[in-house]
Amino acid sequence: MLATWRRYKLTRWLALVLLIVLILLPLPQFLAPERKLVTNSLLFSFTQLFMLIWMASNWNAFSGFTGYVDFGHAVFFGLGAYGTGVLMVKLGVPFPIAVLGGAIVAAIFAFLIGSATLRLKGPYFSIAMLGTFVAMREIVRIIKPITGGGSGLTLPPYLNRPLFYYVTLIGMAIVVLLIWLMRRTQFGASLIAIREDEVGAEMRGINTTRHKITIFCLACFSTGIVGGLWAYQNTFIDPDIVFFESRTIELVMMTILGGLGTVAGPVVGATVLYWLRDIIWANFLDYHLIVQGIMLILIVLFVPEGIMGIIGDPDSTSLGRLWKKHFGQGEETEQPTTTTEVQS
Amino acid sequence: MTVALHSAESPSPARTDQPLLEGRGVSKFFGGLAALTDVDFQVYRGEVMGLIGPNGSGKTTLFDCLSCVQRVSQGEIHFKGTDITKFKPYQVAHLGLARTFQVIRVYRKLTVLENMLLSLQWGNLTMRNKFRPNSAETEARARQLIDFLLLKRVTDEKAGNLSGGQQRLLEIGMALMPDPDLLLLDEATSGVNPTLIEEIKSRIRILNEEQGKTFLLIEHNVQFISDLCSRVFVLNYGEKLAEGTPDEIMNNQEVIEAYFGAEAGDDDGF
Repeated sequence: MLATWRRYKLTRWLALVLLIVLILLPLPQFLAPERKLVTNSLLFSFTQLFMLIWMASNWNAFSGFTGYVDFGHAVFFGLGAYGTGVLMVKLGVPFPIAVLGGAIVAAIFAFLIGSATLRLKGPYFSIAMLGTFVAMREIVRIIKPITGGGSGLTLPPYLNRPLFYYVTLIGMAIVVLLIWLMRRTQFGASLIAIREDEVGAEMRGINTTRHKITIFCLACFSTGIVGGLWAYQNTFIDPDIVFFESRTIELVMMTILGGLGTVAGPVVGATVLYWLRDIIWANFLDYHLIVQGIMLILIVLFVPEGIMGIIGDPDSTSLGRLWKKHFGQGEETEQPTTTTEVQS
Repeated sequence: MTVALHSAESPSPARTDQPLLEGRGVSKFFGGLAALTDVDFQVYRGEVMGLIGPNGSGKTTLFDCLSCVQRVSQGEIHFKGTDITKFKPYQVAHLGLARTFQVIRVYRKLTVLENMLLSLQWGNLTMRNKFRPNSAETEARARQLIDFLLLKRVTDEKAGNLSGGQQRLLEIGMALMPDPDLLLLDEATSGVNPTLIEEIKSRIRILNEEQGKTFLLIEHNVQFISDLCSRVFVLNYGEKLAEGTPDEIMNNQEVIEAYFGAEAGDDDGF
């Protein structure tokens, strides 16, 4: 089955069909609003999902491709949200310009923090980002005259669900497409080289620091846009809901479940975990974080290459090998063979 | 085998009096430990030079300093007349110096072809070109080198699945992708079977004699050094012990003592 899947590139057709369905989804609400086939609640759920896919793709574009794990990515979501909120509430800037301003704030901060920490190899960046996340929440809380402090900011309400649905759908699709294109360029290839062997990459002529900072700023700019959209849709922001600890953890989980460093990984992982999260909340309300933590451990142990890894190479995961053992007969010829001798 | 593995403007193999690579008083200290002390040497364009020495003599540290993976503590390094002492590794690579590593550094999860494509001449790429897919010429060059290095049958195999010898060949191919002037090969025959060693030797010879590539080789295989190198440079305890032709070095009493101790005088080879 997996071989057939790969041979006919069904994923591309499936993605196209899925995109068309998603574009058409809100139409019943316009054409036959009395039937309530598509409710605002459903559109809201999809909007949240698109935002998660968008953010997980951003996180993956930097951490998945370069191997530098960003444990504080929610900082840039928060900066985007607060940048947008402050510009709209305090300065009366229209939303489209405000969201762009918020994203620029996120990108500038990413440049500053990245320039300082991404010159170092190893885990320093991850530790620095973790600290930045905690510090930024407190800074936002302290500068009350600008951010509203712990009381938060209330943005002008604009509850047009179909509009948010389309904006996030288009934004997500563009980001996924750009990452797909980037993976095929020399820039994308150099990011993978950094992940695989940074010293080797540098010795082969790649200015690793510049590449890391560039993709970090781009990813954070994109996450800043999501933050701004989220703030406007939510109409209220405060430090605790914007700088939420598990937001980054969710992005990590989604990307690892889908497939770290793959283009489709965050899309698949975010979709699966988004619906799964509802089930977890419904059944383990008091323990949902514990259940999420256990899931993360299980994913890392049994599906380290993610769902896309199982589809691409069943041998790479224990779950994939189990699948192949029981259902994979007849696919043996599809698997690569290990060659130990030079064939001249 | 005749293959066009170099660009049209590649130099002829003729040796010149101007050193291609030169170290002047190179020293490297790790705290109180002197890994290299006041090392002077020259590598000339078009030659194959050997660098030998007992384990821990500072050979790989010298390679790290030459390729700017590590900064020298004292002294200067000049490549093509440019002082590269404070350069970054990628800047040295852009100048035309490539290297392989003692511990093989290939991208294990990527295919042989992908490994090659990841190792092209980054310095010549503008930012706009970096956001374009690999050109057909780049892929053609990668495939040509893969063929030259006898890896054609494993082109689409993941590098991690290759044998140690094949990975060595792949690493040499990756170093060749940017069409460098000088290649530093760190123990290119380590863990490689004798048949493949002969293949590596013949490839180096072709690259040197037909393409004009200059080589600096770290090696423990004396036969390999004798067959390929015109000059050999010996390090011991981080200091230059001797320099000369392979014959001179093999008959040098100090070198023999450095490898086997003072008692060994009649042994043939290292």
